[in-house]
Amino acid sequence: MTESVQNVSQPQIEVENLNLWYGEKQALKNISMQIPKNSVTALIGPSGCGKSTFIRCLNRMNDLIKNCRIEGKVSIEGRDIYGQDVDVVELRKEVGMVFQKPNPFPMSIYDNVAYGPRIHGASKKDLDGIVEQALRSAAIWEETSDRLKSPALSLSGGQQQRLCIARTLAVKPRTILFDEPTSALDPISTSRIEDLIMNLKKDYTIVIVTHNMQQAARISDYTGFFLMGELIEFGQTRQIFHNPQEKSTEDYITGRFG
Amino acid sequence: MFSRNSKEKGIESVLFVISTLTVAILFLICLFLFRDGLLLFKETSLLDFLTGKFWYPTSVNEQFGLVPLFLGSLLVTVGAILFSVPLGVASAIYISEIAHPKVADFLKPFIEILAGVPSVVYGFFGLVVLVPLMQETFNLPTGQTALTGSIMLGIMALPTIVTISEDAISSVPGTLRQGSLALGATRWQTIYKVIIPAAISGISAAVMLGVGRAIGETMVVLMVTGNAAIIPSFPGGFLDPVRTMTATIALEMGEVPQGSDHFHALFAVGSVLFIITFLVNLVADSIKKKYRFKVS
Repeated sequence: MTESVQNVSQPQIEVENLNLWYGEKQALKNISMQIPKNSVTALIGPSGCGKSTFIRCLNRMNDLIKNCRIEGKVSIEGRDIYGQDVDVVELRKEVGMVFQKPNPFPMSIYDNVAYGPRIHGASKKDLDGIVEQALRSAAIWEETSDRLKSPALSLSGGQQQRLCIARTLAVKPRTILFDEPTSALDPISTSRIEDLIMNLKKDYTIVIVTHNMQQAARISDYTGFFLMGELIEFGQTRQIFHNPQEKSTEDYITGRFG
Repeated sequence: MFSRNSKEKGIESVLFVISTLTVAILFLICLFLFRDGLLLFKETSLLDFLTGKFWYPTSVNEQFGLVPLFLGSLLVTVGAILFSVPLGVASAIYISEIAHPKVADFLKPFIEILAGVPSVVYGFFGLVVLVPLMQETFNLPTGQTALTGSIMLGIMALPTIVTISEDAISSVPGTLRQGSLALGATRWQTIYKVIIPAAISGISAAVMLGVGRAIGETMVVLMVTGNAAIIPSFPGGFLDPVRTMTATIALEMGEVPQGSDHFHALFAVGSVLFIITFLVNLVADSIKKKYRFKVS
């Protein structure tokens, strides 16, 4: 089932037998997956299937949840991110995350983007360049270049989300995780973010959780289908949507449930 | 149909009268306070009252100068703020961001109980424990000093500052916290660069309300500050006895002949106090309103 993925040389993210429990409840069951470099991988499935929980394992955001227990191995660029010597701060610098609801900090547009570089010790004179570069990459420079000092909360929802993407890019990660980034946005803002994600895959490895199957079909190269904490099927997006191997994948994609 | 309507109307008007009553009471308090206070200025000029350096209400050549009392209040209040704000905000951060929820649930009720202790009990504690301690520590002729009052008032203002700051910090959306952590910020960087700035107006409101409480407090300062109506020096005055506006009213009102200049002077002091606390509360309220906008 993962034949088409395996012939890619070195996967960016490699997950082996990942199990996760919230207290007594097992939320992820034996997940194994190889996510290739410079691609967009979409994770789909009905609510509560574990796709968001899974993506949060990749930058260890689940560490924040009490009673959360993880077994198995997750390697990013060949390094076990749950290993003894891993610095979570370093990991999150390399694996950025954009959330479901735009969450700009209550400060200026400039300061939002500069926040990451500042805490990681960027020098003052480099900051302007980093901020402009990040805003350009996130396709929001044109709208904000003349008002960098105004509060980020004065932007529209879609602009706020692109600002959050810019903020993530400013830290210069190599992998970016998107957790349903457009579910709170209108169709026009959504399509701008989708274009942006497709552009970003040149330079970044992207994993996106989405509720929206059309979105997965439009923007991703690979798709994984989750159901009840299990990864049912993973492969090239075209194959998943046109020729799914599993009955439940087909049922979900054709809208029989979910 | 008609009777139901009139019943509704009846309840409405009863509630209206009750809520209007509080406004009316406040208005009447103002009226009596200012009326008696203003009578002082038939004898003494307003300027002499506000800038007078001596409070000699019972001497032959009586003088009613507000300055020593005002500075006494100011010194004690500033000291209380310096003492309670860092402590209060730090406790609020600990409870809402760092402590395990079980620890926080254990601590919170105790802090709230602190607010319910009668002020005379605080005063008693101050007199018996803190005053001798100050006297020994700083080798003073008396332990009844401005600093003693500041520490006691600081402790009394703590519950207000902790509770309201804690509310403000907890109402910062979790998504901001996650956003910061996901950028590779440490927990401490997240707290002081994102959470505190996001909650800053709520924290300022908490501080203002704490100030309001400290300025208006009477019993404790009466018991532990020594009540000497002299202009305190700064910052050395912290170790001298002072007299606050509130303590002055409480001490002298019982013995003053009604209708005398002294009587009116005390009302004038009360009016000043009223105006100050009114303004402080107004500022706290407007900060709080602004902050409600921001969080939503």
